[in-house]
Amino acid sequence: MPYSFTKIEEDKTKTISFVFFFLIFVYFAAFWLIAVLSVNFFNYQASPRAFTFHFTVLKFSQTLIIFGFAFIIGFVHWNWTTANLIVKILGVLKAEKLNPKDRYHQMFQNIVDEVSVATGGKKMEAVVIPTMAMNAFALADFSGQAVIGLTEGMLARLTRAQIEAVVGHEAAHIVSGDCLATTITTSLFELFSGVLRGFEAVFRGGGRQGGYSSMRVSARGGAGVIVFLMLIYMLLSVTKMLSQLVRLFISRQREYRADAIAVRLTRDPLSLAEALYAISYRWRGGGLPAQELESIFIVNPLYSAVDEGDGLLSEMFSTHPPIDGRLGILLDMAHSDVELVVKDVERQAQKPRTAVPEIKGSTTQWMAHKDGAWQGPFDMMQMMTLGWMRPETWVQRLGGKKVQMVYQDEDIRHIVSKGEPGKAGGAYQCPKCSLPLNVITYEGTEVHKCSSCRGTLVEEKDVQRIIIRQEVGFSERIKKIAEGISREEKLMAFKKINRDPKTLLRCPKCLHPRTRMMRMFYTEAYRVEVDKCFMCGLIWFDGDELEVVQYMIEHSLNKSRS
Amino acid sequence: MIVLWILLILVAACVLWGVAVYNNLVQLRENAKNGWSQIDVQLKRRHDLIPNLVETAKGYMAHESGTLENVIKARQQAVDASSIKDKQAAENFLSSTLRSLFAVTENYPNLKADQQMRQLHEELTSTENKITFARQYYNDEVNRLNTSVQSFPDNFIASKFKFEKRDFFELEDDSEKETPKVKF
Repeated sequence: MPYSFTKIEEDKTKTISFVFFFLIFVYFAAFWLIAVLSVNFFNYQASPRAFTFHFTVLKFSQTLIIFGFAFIIGFVHWNWTTANLIVKILGVLKAEKLNPKDRYHQMFQNIVDEVSVATGGKKMEAVVIPTMAMNAFALADFSGQAVIGLTEGMLARLTRAQIEAVVGHEAAHIVSGDCLATTITTSLFELFSGVLRGFEAVFRGGGRQGGYSSMRVSARGGAGVIVFLMLIYMLLSVTKMLSQLVRLFISRQREYRADAIAVRLTRDPLSLAEALYAISYRWRGGGLPAQELESIFIVNPLYSAVDEGDGLLSEMFSTHPPIDGRLGILLDMAHSDVELVVKDVERQAQKPRTAVPEIKGSTTQWMAHKDGAWQGPFDMMQMMTLGWMRPETWVQRLGGKKVQMVYQDEDIRHIVSKGEPGKAGGAYQCPKCSLPLNVITYEGTEVHKCSSCRGTLVEEKDVQRIIIRQEVGFSERIKKIAEGISREEKLMAFKKINRDPKTLLRCPKCLHPRTRMMRMFYTEAYRVEVDKCFMCGLIWFDGDELEVVQYMIEHSLNKSRS
Repeated sequence: MIVLWILLILVAACVLWGVAVYNNLVQLRENAKNGWSQIDVQLKRRHDLIPNLVETAKGYMAHESGTLENVIKARQQAVDASSIKDKQAAENFLSSTLRSLFAVTENYPNLKADQQMRQLHEELTSTENKITFARQYYNDEVNRLNTSVQSFPDNFIASKFKFEKRDFFELEDDSEKETPKVKF
């Protein structure tokens, strides 16, 4: 019986209504317990001698009122959680939209579209998390919106076929409907955790200056306030404990099932096995900002003993099945074995690098008219140093027919208008040599590079991407510079940054008349000097500096891993 | 009286069953149609991409004009084909010419490094995968439709309301059964 993607949609509502009633039950249980405790407390105060503890002190009508109250609160809670659900979670995960000019992102978008075709046309959005970790997740909400997210580390390190398999796995969660249930159950109780953390901060801060406002309150309001606070704390703790039980609904079986559907979608079990192996044994990836959200990921971001175990307890409380089990099933389908996969992934980690792309300077040359005679030809650098160029000097491109004045030619206009550097030909100008910067593709993303001083202008968030990706290999010169800097660091012989205002650069994007870019180290750990604009976030790397930063970070990562 | 009731209930049950089967068949037929239109969309996309690809490649590989002309010819055949059978043959031929084109590009490092060529290559890879997946979806749905149309007792309803078997969209050449995936 083929797996019908249209039919399975109907099953998903069951789990979800179950979770809804569980939420109301949690509230009811908490309120009821508190009511029973407080009634007993008042009974004790009224007559301490004749007091015995009873659970059955509430009348039926009172219980009913408590239930109604719990229902209303639960309903509000439910609606609060499910409204804008995806946007909220994406915010917590710091996910970003795709950049259509980025080669890796184009590929990712294509892959999601392909898998969407395989499911018969389910619409899915794609987002990325800019971290080095390797993981993937899927989200869905009631409106039918669905999102698949991958980390940049994953996009950089896996092959196209492997990414396809992973996206297939995530799409399987979405079409089989379990994604919706998972998304809602995981986010449902985050509210509690958040408030509880706030409370704990207040209690812990009691001794220090942070808790001084609560101390003053207690001094004035007396025991009543403290008892009230304790009660709320208790209430939250009870609900939080109960909410741990919600994991019972998130069966680890669904990961096996999603693997199976992924294979049905992409018909490529080997790539999925390779991807799972690569993720789990190399870069499972802590550093994702989401402990409560572990259920939505393809592999649990934190290694957990419960996950890797068997037995009843593991079956009940873990959110992910053991990787070995998943690999075993997939490799059976692919008629392959673990050793082959390991070899493949190892080889992939050492894929050949390409050379750093060198750009040629503009080869256009101009003839210039001076004192009644044509002079030249000059290239752009020569023209800048001529000294007698005026805006109304006649120029002609070598090989071109049109004779025009300098200010009419977009490419060289900037030579004569030093007073107001602007955009030459739509591009930024090099902050050092005022030449127009060339837009080139470096590590799959767009950067602006100067053909003369070889400096590079990069958006701040793209720097992270460039560092994560590993297409480009480094020359001996880069290695020497990087090693030199690390040696200085070890000797604690720090260079002073030259912050002479005359040498500071003007941001080519903001072009602010007075503000300059800040000269600083890339980070304290990697002491490479860069210039950063704090208004727009652009970073200027002098020639080689970007590669040096890349080399240093990559190198220290490799060291810490082996 | 009781017999009448039983008869009535039986008739009602039969009608309900018939309605359910009918609706199911309609659903299957629509899915298959939808799958076919997906294939069509992707094939058209492929036809649109090829002229750009040839234009870009031309600049780098003047000596391989024969390969390029083959691709153009195969594309034209594929565009002109109308019946499912013709389409299959033409598309298969187009796939094989494309494969030989990409095999030849391996000899031209400059072409492989060309930014636009890389992008076209990625787009074409993606479209090839989409065609594969669309065909896979279509064939799955056709399989379900055909099974339902032929199996007892659904075949009564199917023949009454003229639900017909559909043709699969298949690959004839065995070597092409490997998905045209490109590993970078």
